[in-house]
Amino acid sequence: MKFDLEWLRQHIDGDTDADTLSEALTHCGFLVETRDPSGQSEIWDVEATTNRPDVMCHRGLAREAALAVGARLKALDTTVEETGEQAENLASVEIQDEDLCSRYVGRVLRGIRLVESPVWLKERLERCGVRPINAVVDATNYVLLETGQPLHAFDLDRLEDRTIVVRRAHKGEVLATLDGEDRKLECDDLVIADRNRPVALAGVMGGADSEIGEETTDVLLESAHFEALSVRRTSRRFGMHTEASHRFERGADPLMAPVAADLAARLISQLTGATVSPGRIDVCPRPWQSKEMTFSVSGVSRFAGLEIAGDEIVRILEALEFRAGRDGDVITCVPPSFRGDIERVADLYEEIIRHIGYDAVPAVLPILRTPPGRRHPNWELVDRGRRAAVACGLTEAVTYAFIDPQVDQRLESWPLCPGPSIPLANPLAETQGTMRRSLIPGLLAAARENLNQGESDIALFEEGRVFSNPEGDCFEEPEYLSVVLAGGGLALPGRDAVDFLELKGVVEALLRDGAFPEVAWQRGGSPWLDEAEGAVLVDGDGGVVGVAGRLGDDEAGRWGFKQAVYVAELRLQAAAVEPPLPRFETLPRFPAVWVDITVEHGAALSYAGLEAAVRELSDQLVTSVSLVGRFTGKALGPDRVRTTLRLVYRHAERSMTQEEVNAAQDVLRAALVERLDVTI
Amino acid sequence: MGAQRLDEVRAAFLADIESAGGDAAAVENIRIRYAGRRSGLLLDLTAALRELPNEEKRDYGRALNELKKLVADRLEAAKSGAHTRQASGPGFDVTLPGLTLPKGAQHPVHLVRQRIEEIFLRMGYDVEDGPEIEDDRHNFEALNIPPDHPARDDQDTFYVSGGRLLRTHTSPVQARVMEQRKPPIRIIVPGKVYRRDSDLRHSPMFHQIEGLLVDEGVTFGNLKATLETFLHALFSEHGVDVRFRPSYFPFTEPSAEVDITCIFCGGSGCGVCSRSGWIEILGSGMVDPRVFEGVGVDADRYTGFAFGLGLDRVAMLLYGIPDLRQLFVGDQRLTRQFA
Ligand SMILES: [Zn+2]
Repeated sequence: MKFDLEWLRQHIDGDTDADTLSEALTHCGFLVETRDPSGQSEIWDVEATTNRPDVMCHRGLAREAALAVGARLKALDTTVEETGEQAENLASVEIQDEDLCSRYVGRVLRGIRLVESPVWLKERLERCGVRPINAVVDATNYVLLETGQPLHAFDLDRLEDRTIVVRRAHKGEVLATLDGEDRKLECDDLVIADRNRPVALAGVMGGADSEIGEETTDVLLESAHFEALSVRRTSRRFGMHTEASHRFERGADPLMAPVAADLAARLISQLTGATVSPGRIDVCPRPWQSKEMTFSVSGVSRFAGLEIAGDEIVRILEALEFRAGRDGDVITCVPPSFRGDIERVADLYEEIIRHIGYDAVPAVLPILRTPPGRRHPNWELVDRGRRAAVACGLTEAVTYAFIDPQVDQRLESWPLCPGPSIPLANPLAETQGTMRRSLIPGLLAAARENLNQGESDIALFEEGRVFSNPEGDCFEEPEYLSVVLAGGGLALPGRDAVDFLELKGVVEALLRDGAFPEVAWQRGGSPWLDEAEGAVLVDGDGGVVGVAGRLGDDEAGRWGFKQAVYVAELRLQAAAVEPPLPRFETLPRFPAVWVDITVEHGAALSYAGLEAAVRELSDQLVTSVSLVGRFTGKALGPDRVRTTLRLVYRHAERSMTQEEVNAAQDVLRAALVERLDVTI
Repeated sequence: MGAQRLDEVRAAFLADIESAGGDAAAVENIRIRYAGRRSGLLLDLTAALRELPNEEKRDYGRALNELKKLVADRLEAAKSGAHTRQASGPGFDVTLPGLTLPKGAQHPVHLVRQRIEEIFLRMGYDVEDGPEIEDDRHNFEALNIPPDHPARDDQDTFYVSGGRLLRTHTSPVQARVMEQRKPPIRIIVPGKVYRRDSDLRHSPMFHQIEGLLVDEGVTFGNLKATLETFLHALFSEHGVDVRFRPSYFPFTEPSAEVDITCIFCGGSGCGVCSRSGWIEILGSGMVDPRVFEGVGVDADRYTGFAFGLGLDRVAMLLYGIPDLRQLFVGDQRLTRQFA
């Protein structure tokens, strides 16, 4: 909030320099964010937190500043010169809804001339970001900025029966507010009405009909106290945020209404030559109740971690205009009317520690009474996935958790789709309209962005949650780990374009390092992927653990990719919460014998099927089966494949002879021919 | 078909021999694979010759012979160190670039998260976790922010169905932990948070880390010491001073905004710190007794403190990243700087 430095200083005794004042305010909780010179003064932008409406005015901030620099707050001169007929004979006020308006003070001024404000006044308003209009309006704004009390001036002659009625609106009533809008009122809007119709939205904005103008002669000045919640609801519903509503919403000072009315009446009289009619119209159905609070000096000292003197506490409270007294260890105090935020002892502790100064409290580490810290298993899980991905050479992306609903719709067919989607009720943009059900769209957008930036080797991963709403109140957010490879992918030496086997190598490393269960790679599975180069990863129970493959041509076209793009996604919750401890296996003492076997078979027999059969049918001394090479070609005929496998034989207690191995291979060959449609 | 296969094998062989880079074991593996006498690929190619139609045999045979010679020559060259990328031999140029191996990188936000977790784990804090889709009670009410509280204006909220919302801070996890566990409690909670705000300095999704300590006899001095210790460790390379300023948060009282000396100007004042010499880094305070009451912790017996900071902001400060939104487009040129 903007403050005029000279205006602030006018309320503080003595002559404190600006730097000291700024530093002191920052230290007691009112950060001076910026200081800009303006004429003979400075404009200060000071952070006034929402709980402190009392400092949203010059006098309130000056009170804090005075205590902080050890000066006194000057007394306020509220004298008014009054002449003519009694105000109460000129206008009347009636409060019908006392629950929403605890007090209504009116002042009557006669013989108004609508003049321009003097320069000094206009400058002060402008420094605080308020546009000068005319002397009457400016005076009410001036008093608002000085005391925090919102005021409003009505053209008295335009109030039917010269009467103010404070009441809830009737359904269907319409009020043309000063900003030129017609407001359709609801029954819980509090209005200021005359005998017939609403003339202002209480605590928010005046109405156009009763606005003062050139022909105005008599003015009714309103200075009232409205309930915070009611003002807040009305101003929010109409989207009207005004200087008045800002303060009422946060809680105005219930005792300030008469004071501000006097100040404003005097100022308007000075500026316009109007006379102030004697007496205030003051309707106060619910007078403010003070409340007494007690706490102990030792209590606040213990809480702070600092011995605080009892007299110091009383001095601070009194400077903040609390009534305070001490009896030994016990402090009794009554907060002032403008401190609605003080409700409990903790609030008092804050006042005291704030003005003792946070710097004065010695820093002492707390005693450790908890066992050594541990990370939540979910954090272990996701960071294990992250480390595995980084170890593969992938770079981490973090993308938004909301995606385009049109893209999301296509995820219905994604094998890892977690369930029904969760649209946002109030998205920032249509393209960020729904919570993601896969990390792949975000990664594809990132891959495209990188390609656009001229990157040629794209190898990204993301770890994060996807979201679904399976039913009613049940929301799920499982953790996924996903990969995109494009262009040169990992840029492995000797390779110039990513292919399925590179992706598969990455996924296998993630599965291994991530402590996932054994999976089978099953071909196909998603319209997102190429028919031939797409796979679903399935665990022993048939559960889908992951998806991997080349982005299909249709999808690649939608994203505008010209090059092959490979993606994979894993469901992290499929992995073990705690990876098994590695176990040492005795190192072999005798050499292994390896031998290759070449099998010719139909293309329908997958490599995995062949390898599984070989493992099953081979001698128990075979410790590994691996692929050496595969050959297809015209020479073999259509749909025929020749696969060479390498088998390693090893005996734990002796060297094996070539004859033994040959015999075992003969058995294997015979078994394979019998089991599968193969030639060897 | 036959000639095409020869080309494939030639290309694969050249790639393999290149990547072997002169490593003797790798070269031997390549020899076995291609020229092995029992199962080398050249044997397959020779076998295929017999099955070709006669008119193709001549060209295929010539090409096959060329390939065999190439394989033999290159293998020989690789073994004897005559190849240009051979990593040994007389006249070898040690200034040649090494092979580029894949190297991954974590996102700076997660680097910072882990850095902060390490500091607090050493001080005995657990690292906790909670849902990103929250209910109003844990995100607001349990934290002393009732429905009409003005503080809700500062945290413009994304809503989903069923009255649920995207958590606007990590604080709801505090409430969840206090509901489930008896003090003493020492936790930190990192995670994603969401606010309906997008401009140069705001992203609708960002990351926070939250801390909470609840025990008997916890003082404001304990809060100061803990956060000073933390910030000195977090910015250990910069060597910062720490300043505590009174402020306001609905769930703490008293509340303190914590500043560090500006790491860009060392405190003398610059554009980044609005010439104040200080940078706001963290919000904190003593837990408001109302929060304790809302989650069933005995407010007469226990006191505590809580704090929270933006991970993205710390990453930007620590590593000098100027634009928040740059963090969430997946630009690998940015992230690879943190490999
Ligand atoms: Zn600076």
